[in-house]
Amino acid sequence: MSASFDPSARRRAVRPVTLLVVAALIVLPWIEPDKFALHILSLIAIASIAAMGLQVLLGYSGQLSIGQAAFYGIGAYTSALLTAKLGVPFPLALVGAGAAAAIASLLMVPITRLTGAYLAVATLGFSIIVYLFIQNEEWLTGGSYGFIGIPRAELFGYVLRDQMSSYYLNVGVAAIVYFTFARIEGSRFGRAINAIRQDADAARASGIGVTLLKSECFVIAAFVAGVAGSLYAHEVRYLAPNDFTFWKSIEMLIMVVIGGVGSLAGAILGAAVVVGLPEYLRAIGDYRMLVFGAILIATMLFGEGGLAALFATLGRRVAAVAMRSASKLPPGNEAAR
Amino acid sequence: MGALTVFQFVDLMVGGLAVGCVYSLIALGFAMIMRATNIIHFAQGEVMMLGCMCGLTSLWLLPALPLLAVVAVGMASSGLIAVAMELAVYRTLRRRRVPIMNLITATVGMSILCINAARIIWGSEPLRFPELFATTAYEFGGVRVSPQLFWIMVMGVAIMAALQLFLKHTRTGLAMQAMAQDAEAAQLMGANLTRMMAYTFAISGMMAGAAGIMLGSMFFAFFEMGFITGLKGFVAATLGGLGSITGAMLGGILFGLIETFSTVFLSSAYKDGIGMILLIAILLVFPSGLVGLWQRRR
Repeated sequence: MSASFDPSARRRAVRPVTLLVVAALIVLPWIEPDKFALHILSLIAIASIAAMGLQVLLGYSGQLSIGQAAFYGIGAYTSALLTAKLGVPFPLALVGAGAAAAIASLLMVPITRLTGAYLAVATLGFSIIVYLFIQNEEWLTGGSYGFIGIPRAELFGYVLRDQMSSYYLNVGVAAIVYFTFARIEGSRFGRAINAIRQDADAARASGIGVTLLKSECFVIAAFVAGVAGSLYAHEVRYLAPNDFTFWKSIEMLIMVVIGGVGSLAGAILGAAVVVGLPEYLRAIGDYRMLVFGAILIATMLFGEGGLAALFATLGRRVAAVAMRSASKLPPGNEAAR
Repeated sequence: MGALTVFQFVDLMVGGLAVGCVYSLIALGFAMIMRATNIIHFAQGEVMMLGCMCGLTSLWLLPALPLLAVVAVGMASSGLIAVAMELAVYRTLRRRRVPIMNLITATVGMSILCINAARIIWGSEPLRFPELFATTAYEFGGVRVSPQLFWIMVMGVAIMAALQLFLKHTRTGLAMQAMAQDAEAAQLMGANLTRMMAYTFAISGMMAGAAGIMLGSMFFAFFEMGFITGLKGFVAATLGGLGSITGAMLGGILFGLIETFSTVFLSSAYKDGIGMILLIAILLVFPSGLVGLWQRRR
């Protein structure tokens, strides 16, 4: 077990927790075959794909984008157009949606020279332009009437008709994105963008091509946002401009921050909270978003590293308490119980 | 389209300037908070909306209230709300030294909280303001100007001038400026940092409150009105050069004019988009906004 001494090798190895989560996700539909629950889980998987893209952009390379909904929307409409109007098979449309979003993001590459709030406002501007395009170009997108008649996803001639198979599709793609991005962290590319986030000038002085790498992160984030959009289009099978407003970008940002900036698993947790919590709170009706806002503020107050750090600390504490109670519990405490 | 008569041009100009004043006031709030704390205060639009709602409520209670009193109510309530946000949440977050992204996300949470609280309190229907201004047009050398737009411009300019005077010529104002430039040095010189921070939020809230009353009287009072207007204020502040007071004022007025004229000359459907394209173009050439251009020239 000499490999376990090398921290980067250990990080790259699949951890037991990850295996457990994957196993749970595979058996889940058999335990809970409720259609609506599986649909929500699919939406969470889709949101987590886009959130992981933003995590690479914000958490890894330190670029704040509040316009990811633009790429999500471009992906969704591209996929819808390709399959419904041109009869392109779904797997091609999925890749095409990602590619379309990535190409659109190339338009924005010059702005990666901007930093902080300036970058944020430029991405915001771009997303408003894309939203207005979706809203106004009725001949192409259906405008505010929405885009209807999007076919179901199909893989190798097999149409994913039931909720369970589309659940597997969405979770599967999310898993692929997760395991791909997990490899970035320890890689040369990952270390380089980490250096850029910490100090762009120092990184440039060490021979890192700052502008190029920043742009690459931008394109990667746009590509996965486009893929997520495509999956969304085929999951819901109806697109309306209101699904791609500035609010969607903010939702993605909340996912990343609430889950923990810099943590890939955090992005997934954040997606689960942002998509799942309002569904869970549906019972309280009008007060739902009020409570959501309060929870968001409270999370910021109490969890610095987001949910990912919170869970990690919780896990360590539970383990420590378990260890202590197993080995050397003072007798006085026992009596008090 | 086509040629414009002088009168139409003046009409558009006045409308653009009035809307621009509203954006300027909101942008000022963004700029002041950005200077002092480095955060994008996403709840700024909601502070404006709440000021508008409170002003309208005061009119429901006392229908005879004069315009200036309504503006004062709006400013006071928005100022108090912004200070409450600072004291209850942002200050605590800063003390814990949380990453800046958490602070920004907390302001988003604040915005969600305010929008939904307002919807529960004031309902989701757009509310119309009673007539606050004279209805007969003023005439300046044969050019007719709507009293509403005229007074909005006058008030906007007066409030901004008062702010400039306050920042340049009072002890508190100077301390706030100093704090924005170098918090530690200002503290060593005896400025009370926490108090200055509260003042910053109070003033940016008051600016937003005044903007809220103006905007509400021009269009409607509506629980979601702060969202898109707040964004435009943020864009205007960036256009001017974030963190610059003069830049925010100019950026707001410029954005108002661009928006008004592009609606007429280009396309009303893409009205919000044209401002954004210009914004991106300006940022590409001058990555630190219009103030960067100004400073480079000098």
